[in-house]
Amino acid sequence: MRIALSLTVASLKMYFRNRQAIFFSLFIPFLIMVIFGLLDFDRFSGADVGIVDQAQNEASAAIILQLTDRTDELVDVELGSLGKETERITDGEIDAMFVIPAGFAEPGGPVTVSATTDERSPQRAALAVALLDQILGDLERQAASTPDVTDSSVTKGPAKFGTISLSTLEGDDRSYTAFLVPGIVAMSIMQLGIFGVVFALVQYRQQGVLRRLKAAPVNPAQFLFAQISTRLSISVFQTLILLLVGMILFDLAVGDGDVVSWLLVIALALFGGILFVTMGLAISGVARTEEVAAPVTNLVSMPMMFLSGVFFPLDALPGVVTIVTQFLPLTFLADAMRAVVTDGSGITDIWGELAGLAAWSAIVFAAATRLFRWE
Amino acid sequence: MNNAGTSGGPVIVAKDLRKRYDDIQAVDGVSFEVYRGEVFGMLGPNGAGKTTTVEILEGMRDPDSGVALIDGIDVTREPMRVKKIIGVQLQANAFFDRLTLSELLKLFGTLYGHSVSSQDLLDRVDLGERGKSQFKTLSGGQKQRFSIAAALVNEPAVMFLDEPSSGLDPQARRNMWELIKGLQADGTTVMLTTHYMEEAEELCDRVAIVDSGRIVALDTPLALVDGLLETGFRNERPTREATLEDVFISMTGRALRDE
Repeated sequence: MRIALSLTVASLKMYFRNRQAIFFSLFIPFLIMVIFGLLDFDRFSGADVGIVDQAQNEASAAIILQLTDRTDELVDVELGSLGKETERITDGEIDAMFVIPAGFAEPGGPVTVSATTDERSPQRAALAVALLDQILGDLERQAASTPDVTDSSVTKGPAKFGTISLSTLEGDDRSYTAFLVPGIVAMSIMQLGIFGVVFALVQYRQQGVLRRLKAAPVNPAQFLFAQISTRLSISVFQTLILLLVGMILFDLAVGDGDVVSWLLVIALALFGGILFVTMGLAISGVARTEEVAAPVTNLVSMPMMFLSGVFFPLDALPGVVTIVTQFLPLTFLADAMRAVVTDGSGITDIWGELAGLAAWSAIVFAAATRLFRWE
Repeated sequence: MNNAGTSGGPVIVAKDLRKRYDDIQAVDGVSFEVYRGEVFGMLGPNGAGKTTTVEILEGMRDPDSGVALIDGIDVTREPMRVKKIIGVQLQANAFFDRLTLSELLKLFGTLYGHSVSSQDLLDRVDLGERGKSQFKTLSGGQKQRFSIAAALVNEPAVMFLDEPSSGLDPQARRNMWELIKGLQADGTTVMLTTHYMEEAEELCDRVAIVDSGRIVALDTPLALVDGLLETGFRNERPTREATLEDVFISMTGRALRDE
């Protein structure tokens, strides 16, 4: 144990004296976070709108028709009851809810559509409201320009087709950065585990450091234990730094800001760290030189980076693809991290992800014990 | 002072060691014994099987057959016990980057379960001033000397040196020789490999000449030379009292150049 401990301390010293490694493990995720955070991909996607049609008349039908006609543009419209749509907007499934009141635009009836927007997705909600405003304006002009000559009650027609009464719904942070940051944190845990271990071991092997250790009374388990505990310490350190950056730059809240959420974050950094460090050990058994190590590590990490819901939600992928991607190791880690950080989930909410991580760890551990070699 | 036991028998025993790599029989039935306090040399051309033999004795490599004993301990059965009492300098020496020489010696001390004074060890190999340097910044001779310091952390009974002076300039080589003589004076048994004959003559009490995985001769350097002369061998070159190396040393001095 003393041997493993002193090897761990020595590796940590080596890591913190390696400015390049620190640069790559901290600055790169930081950079990705800032770039993607500023780009805010969310802005480019369409708005989901729920409509509650209590009027069921010509006017409401016209509004719905117009809105659904623009589906191919920027909105996705669904009709539902007030209860159902209220629930959907509370859950963050839709960005705006329009309620067309009974008797809307009928003589003496109300002329106001009430729109509730989700402040967590302000851009998409604003887009939907702007569209509604435009449609109401169009319909009003249409009504004015086609006076009904056969109907003497033309003067009784809607003086104003409609106005919008706006209200916003406050809720948990649903911004893109709140989605992105936990994903980047998970991705960094993966990168640190895989790249850190593979390149350190390839270097030790090529320099002959591993041979020198083999000549000393050190057994492989002690050495591997030191490798894993070193990386796990760095993994936790890196996770905390990146979350702090997210809090400062993007006003991110970690869970409900309580100790339990932070402890869960640390637990996930350790749990994910074990999985990916072990994966690195397995890869280092196959990729024995730097020339091979670079492409192999990329081959393993790249698909996970883009298909595990780090940068965009998995449901943006075609359904067939998600059948596979939902089981990727990084998907479990990113989902769990996001649940804890963004939704403030407790351990009982993420047991599925934890089980997925545990299953992958078992598989990868079995592979590592077969593939790892000293020389 | 060191881990040497009290028995008077051989401290290294190799009995009919064999090791095959794919289609090459690297070690083909090597047997010898090394006695306590001896400096034993293994000579031979590249690929003769010197390093493989030494690695088997160090517990780095299992032989296909044969027995290797260090201080009576079977190397194949108890490699960890053997590794604890031997000092090893490998042919290609490498240590962790970004640790200082002092930190490396402390770390190696822990690996062997010894608490060491890194300053004493560095002083012993003339690196007393370099405790805060990193291994990769050292010159070739300094690297070799440091790897001997690292091999001394456990005060070993037996020291294995694999080509300790290869690649060194004459000054650094002579310095290395003094260091090895110092080890012997301290009572350490030394087994070294080399392909420098003058090194073997200077240092070794007995040498084994190895070729194609077999020992072809084993005796004191003097007896081996006498044996050759008895066969009627005569050196075609006129024998002189000095060599070109003597000229080199007299003109460039003995002082080390790598500091």
